[in-house]
Amino acid sequence: MATSELRSPQHNRMPLSRRLRSPRTVLTALCVVLAAVAAFPILWMVSASFKTRATVNDGKLIPSEITVQNFVYVFTEVPFMKFLWNSFFVSATITLVSLLLHSMAAYALARLRFPGREPIFMAIFGTLLVTPPVVLIPLFLVVRQLGMLDSYAGLIIPAIFNAFGIFLLRQFYLGIPRELEEAAIVDGCGYWRVYWNIVLPLSRPILSALAVFFFLANWNSFIWPQIVATDPDLTVVQVGMASFQQQYGANWNYILAAAAVAALPMLVLFFTFQRQITESIKTSGLK
Amino acid sequence: MSSVATPERQQDTPSGQSTGGPSGRTGMSRKKRERIAAALFLLPDGIGLLTFVVIPMLLSIGLGFFQISGFGSYEWVGLGNYERMMSDPLFWDSLKVTGIYVVVLVPTLFIVSLGLGLLMKQKLPGTGIYRTLFFMPYVISLVVVGLLWQFMLDTQNGVVNKALRAAGLEGKAWLGEPSLALASVIAIMVWVMMGYYMIIFLAGLQEIPQEYYEAARIDGAGPWTTFRTITWPLLRPTSFFVLLMSTVAAITGGIEVIFVLTSGGPANGTSLAIFYIYQQAFMFGEYGYAAAMGSFLVLIMVLCSAVVFKATKGGRFDDGDQ
Amino acid sequence: MRDVSRRSLLAAGAAGAAAGSVALSGCGTAKGDDGPLRFWNFYGPQNSPDPAVQAQSDWFVAMVDEWNKTHKTQIELTYIPQPIYLNGAKLPTAFAAGTGPDIFMVSPGDFLRYANGGILKDLTDHLKPEVIEDFGDSLESRTIDGRVYALPMEIEPLAIFYDVKAWERAGLSEGDIPTTWDATLDAGDKLRSPTRAGLVFETKPGYYQNFTWYPFMWQGGGEVLDKEGNSAFDSKAARQALGLWQDAVRHGIAPTTPPAANDVISGFKAGNVGMWQQGIWQVASFNSYAPDFEYGVFKLPVPSGGSYTTGLGGWTFGANTQGRDPDGAAEFIAWAIGSMEKHSIQRMTDWCVKAKTDIAPRRTALELGIEQGGYDSPVMKKFKDEIYPAGRAEPRYPPAVYKAISDAIQGTMLGGDGVSGAVDRADQSIEAYLKSYKGADLV
Repeated sequence: MATSELRSPQHNRMPLSRRLRSPRTVLTALCVVLAAVAAFPILWMVSASFKTRATVNDGKLIPSEITVQNFVYVFTEVPFMKFLWNSFFVSATITLVSLLLHSMAAYALARLRFPGREPIFMAIFGTLLVTPPVVLIPLFLVVRQLGMLDSYAGLIIPAIFNAFGIFLLRQFYLGIPRELEEAAIVDGCGYWRVYWNIVLPLSRPILSALAVFFFLANWNSFIWPQIVATDPDLTVVQVGMASFQQQYGANWNYILAAAAVAALPMLVLFFTFQRQITESIKTSGLK
Repeated sequence: MSSVATPERQQDTPSGQSTGGPSGRTGMSRKKRERIAAALFLLPDGIGLLTFVVIPMLLSIGLGFFQISGFGSYEWVGLGNYERMMSDPLFWDSLKVTGIYVVVLVPTLFIVSLGLGLLMKQKLPGTGIYRTLFFMPYVISLVVVGLLWQFMLDTQNGVVNKALRAAGLEGKAWLGEPSLALASVIAIMVWVMMGYYMIIFLAGLQEIPQEYYEAARIDGAGPWTTFRTITWPLLRPTSFFVLLMSTVAAITGGIEVIFVLTSGGPANGTSLAIFYIYQQAFMFGEYGYAAAMGSFLVLIMVLCSAVVFKATKGGRFDDGDQ
Repeated sequence: MRDVSRRSLLAAGAAGAAAGSVALSGCGTAKGDDGPLRFWNFYGPQNSPDPAVQAQSDWFVAMVDEWNKTHKTQIELTYIPQPIYLNGAKLPTAFAAGTGPDIFMVSPGDFLRYANGGILKDLTDHLKPEVIEDFGDSLESRTIDGRVYALPMEIEPLAIFYDVKAWERAGLSEGDIPTTWDATLDAGDKLRSPTRAGLVFETKPGYYQNFTWYPFMWQGGGEVLDKEGNSAFDSKAARQALGLWQDAVRHGIAPTTPPAANDVISGFKAGNVGMWQQGIWQVASFNSYAPDFEYGVFKLPVPSGGSYTTGLGGWTFGANTQGRDPDGAAEFIAWAIGSMEKHSIQRMTDWCVKAKTDIAPRRTALELGIEQGGYDSPVMKKFKDEIYPAGRAEPRYPPAVYKAISDAIQGTMLGGDGVSGAVDRADQSIEAYLKSYKGADLV
């Protein structure tokens, strides 16, 4: 604290702000240090993606020789653009459809009165506990029975249904004032129009927050896509990346370059939407 | 009553609404229309969850009573798989590892992400950038996380050991000893998930009305008192949510990281229950047995969360002012 | 006991799914008669910057192209990245649901599981007697009651690779090439430094680690199972083999994690490794990635009173009995690597000396490889003449036996367990498993 006081001359003039600001300087310093620690591995990954196979494991942060060959390889030798497109298409579709369906369900659970609402909500909440690897084979059987193997439908549809989004949206709806809807209902609007014209526009912030989470989760999904799709045209980016890992001697430089390329869109996405995200998530239902 | 339970509609709704409203046109009572609307709103998600979550889960429970070769033959064994589970030391070891993993990971993650959330709330210059940096690990797929840390934790050339040696300390084989490997995996998972829960906490913190803090400041309360008397109690629903979600995530996730980093080793030191189940199912072809263990694990989670619900009244630690 | 067919169980599931589903758009076609046979493998088609990997992919593509040009039954290659092929849920799920590939690659560790599950097609009738004779011993671990269920494409012996420069710098000479365990540990001790591992054994649990460990047990006369099929694991040989790995780790000669994140060639090149127990396949990697790197190989060392042997790995082709056309699939495998036709023999030779660096599992193909210069280099010559001949095929123990032994290896090597206790535990769990085991002979 002493050093920060020395560094800020205006503290001498304003004793009140001095008390406020020097802890802030300390906190800022803490933030910088922690952020550096948190981001270091990512930085390291990016740096390694510019190294050659010989230097990729040398443990140096700054590459001694910089090569873009890894990226050239990733984009030319492997249909990586196709992988990226597949991941984008699948994740975006899942995100859009699930936001619509989940907000509908959440609206009903938060606002409409019907018998068995609580048990239904608890049952939906309970599906969060179903463990993915345990149900993998039965899920595969179901999807096969529906004729969705090796198709975009197989990649997309089973991934839509997740109680997490329903839960968060419901919490959000519990928190918005009821008067708007009630007025609309009195005006003679049907429930669908109330939902579509009033509730949905109001939920824009939480929807954009959830959109980022959903998109991210599906962009990074690995186990389900590898099982359901065998057609090389349906390869998503995380599965495609596995092909850089060879039996004898991994080409780490390529793997890390591919990983960096796959992570970049997600970082941009988060950076763009971070304000909406933090301002719209509501976890508390009681106020 | 719990926070996840739906608050009852206030009784003082205008009386006209219970019978009038849009129903006039169709001749249906509002009550009935509301029910039909609710059913229709819930239908798509309901069918989806039923088809892709509930039915597979029920099938999985069913599979737990069979001996399955993995190639199409099913033999009814009743509770045979459960008996086998009871006497399988590897399963109990894996539960023990899971227990340690959860007990260390969840609180650590809680404290770290709450700390980061509080830090981010200070509106320091450049907060948006820090927020992105803290969140960054979460955007990377778990496979890549595993690969990345395999490098960083390399005994000879890894950046972690290089840094330690530069500081005059000795490098360690981070993934070479059972307990150290488990600690490494936990640290990695904290690193991965802290940004995500930081966001959740930050959102929860922003729900707390600023006036409370103003009042506390006027009363001359210090940061610790403010935290203890305002932030902590009002943050409870969020805390509950984070605890529940991170516990479920810890029990059911992380297989990709384990595969890449340790394959459950050394000496089963990182063989989490979920990994052992995966191994039995997909590497050993014991689907029936894996399904039984999986069902058991889900049962444990249901019980745990029921206990957490009961104990915390669904996140409402402040019992009933309503 | 009641057998419930997969169909009826599926039907139950399907009924539920159908009842709740919006769009029941069709039913699974596990056995459509149309469409090409699917050949799942982890080699090709793919593009790789690594010439060796590229050559391997090209070999698969050329093989299938040639077949497709000359046969009515068409074959389609599906490349599954290796991490997914080995540890992923893809193959198990596909087989469990009856949508497995028609032709696929089988490792020794999975052989019995597939065979006992009735999934592996009996190839015997598609093979001429002289072909079976030509394969000779290499079919042994793929045979059940005299019938052949999978055809090996390669034999991959294990040996110890070492860095020649580091060897010399450590004051060791050609004459110091160790032949005993003690001498090997001594050499490892001399080679090691803070950044160089003296002697590397596999550290990750898995079938591969067991495979690399068995030869040390066999050398002392140890066996996992005796001739009657009972557990014979509790033996001096097993204890001393576990002790060897444990000592190597305890004295800091063997690392507890692989150097260079398991990139063997880079590890050697960067000077992080003195000796590494590896297989013949690394020769191809050295050739393509580090052609100028000076390395040597030597036979696995032997305990006092023991006799030399090594492990022989390698993958096989198998045909799926539940596939679209099991006979067509078997026909293809026989045509590809199991006929007396010139192209078939040449193809195997190409695989073993051009695409990869392996020992050919057929005598004719091996001879052809020698003739065509595939074993001229000192390293390959050593593999063929010294390392390979006394080797034993990788065992086909089922998962429970594998796991028991793996736990013993991991526990003693990395978990601080005592050797005797670990052997006892493994012995007991193998014995317990064998009591309930039903299926083909384990050896």
